Amino acid sequence: MYQFLQDNSLYLVLAISLMGWAGIFFYLKRLGARISRLEKQDKS
Amino acid sequence: MKKGGFLGVTAAVFRKDTSSEIRTRYALNALFLFTVTTLSIILFSFQSSTVPVQVHAGLLWVLIFFAAMSGLSRTFITEEDRGTILLLKLSTISTPVYYGKLLFNVLLLIALTAILTVLYAMVLPGFIVLSVPTLCISLFLGTVGLASASTIIGALIAKANARGTLYPVLSFPIVLPLLLTVIRATTIAMEQEGWDAAMDEYRVLISYILAINAASYLVFEYIWKD
Amino acid sequence: MKVFQAILGFWLTAVILCAFLFPIVPEITRWYEFPVIPGLEQKARILFFHVPLAWTSVVGFVVSVIFAIRYLRTKKLDDDIRSSSAAGLGLLFCALTTITGSIWAKFSWGSFWNWDPRETSIFVLLLIYGAYFALRSSVQEDDKKATLAAVYAIIAGVTMPFLMFVMPRIIASLHPDPIINTQGKVSMNGTMLTVFLSSLAGFTGLYFWIYSLTVRLARLEFKRSSEGE
Repeated sequence: MYQFLQDNSLYLVLAISLMGWAGIFFYLKRLGARISRLEKQDKS
Repeated sequence: MKKGGFLGVTAAVFRKDTSSEIRTRYALNALFLFTVTTLSIILFSFQSSTVPVQVHAGLLWVLIFFAAMSGLSRTFITEEDRGTILLLKLSTISTPVYYGKLLFNVLLLIALTAILTVLYAMVLPGFIVLSVPTLCISLFLGTVGLASASTIIGALIAKANARGTLYPVLSFPIVLPLLLTVIRATTIAMEQEGWDAAMDEYRVLISYILAINAASYLVFEYIWKD
Repeated sequence: MKVFQAILGFWLTAVILCAFLFPIVPEITRWYEFPVIPGLEQKARILFFHVPLAWTSVVGFVVSVIFAIRYLRTKKLDDDIRSSSAAGLGLLFCALTTITGSIWAKFSWGSFWNWDPRETSIFVLLLIYGAYFALRSSVQEDDKKATLAAVYAIIAGVTMPFLMFVMPRIIASLHPDPIINTQGKVSMNGTMLTVFLSSLAGFTGLYFWIYSLTVRLARLEFKRSSEGE
């Protein structure tokens, strides 16, 4: 198991980076939607 | 307050600050005692061991920096504290006030640096200077730069709360390029002969002084009006 | 806005995939291969993430200074909101740069921190951001806070270039220089440069996306707090 992780460490880092980026991306999208909702509330 | 030209007002502000300083001698006394205290701490910690020249150059500027930090913010803070800033605002325009205070701070710091360096050289025999002109020029340029940066930051924090702690925090990143250069110039003064050995450092110092004064000139009005 | 976000999403995903999957080989035979950089090898891949982060932290500083100048001219609190949001994001990216650089330094130079000129410069940038927010938190009134912060940002913006100029003359740097390639320390081929520049563009886009969100949020906050009074 450890040997496998060591051999494929590059792909491991890649997977973590992609997951991190996906997390940030969808968090930001959600944040944007929530801010838009608040802005609409403030206008009306 | 006398109404006069630009130079007249500058001189008037400078005279006012000087005479109030001479009357109380607050800054001078405090700074002198600060110098004596720190120098004796350095002496105790060095005992009789020899240290490289870079350490001497660095220590000297640490002393000057903290002396400036403890003394130079007063010019603006006292105006705020005594409430005299309103009168000053009413009777003058912004820029000459700034230059009057700058002049006062520059002269105060030059006097202080001169005393400090002489004392330092007297009590620490390891402080040997090969080129006195280089040392004088770099001390002068460094002091003017440090005083210029301290004056504008002093004007800033006079308006803020928690001034005592904020002053060195705000000043340090601003004066770091100056300090690094002037420490290098001082090291050169201790290692090489000839006044022009540190020519590149002088250039950096002079352009730093010009840049910080130009920026101060442009922004001081906004702090002042506030 | 929706289109921009979708493009950015795909763009940075592609950059991450390329940065990790393109092989590093000694002899380049195919278009998708990176050259070996002596002393860096696989560690060279951090340049696709670390350098853009450093770049965005400087962009944040510049944006902050520009809006600081605009605030002093217009005295509109909206410009202060923009300036402080840019600085806040700059602080975040600056911290990320320091962390990624530090981890890389541990594996390349043997210690997390050793006062390399680049490390010192980023440290001073962190200090400036810290001082900026310390100054902001010490003033209560909004316009006074905005004016003082703007003035400090401008003064810091004037002196920062000196540091960039002075630092390398004081201590010799071991830092690889990816953009200004003078000593041939890092030799990128076309593919590597393309991925690197795409990453730079992607991170800048990401910066401005987060920036617009923070500005809108800060405006809402400001509106609420001024209505509450």
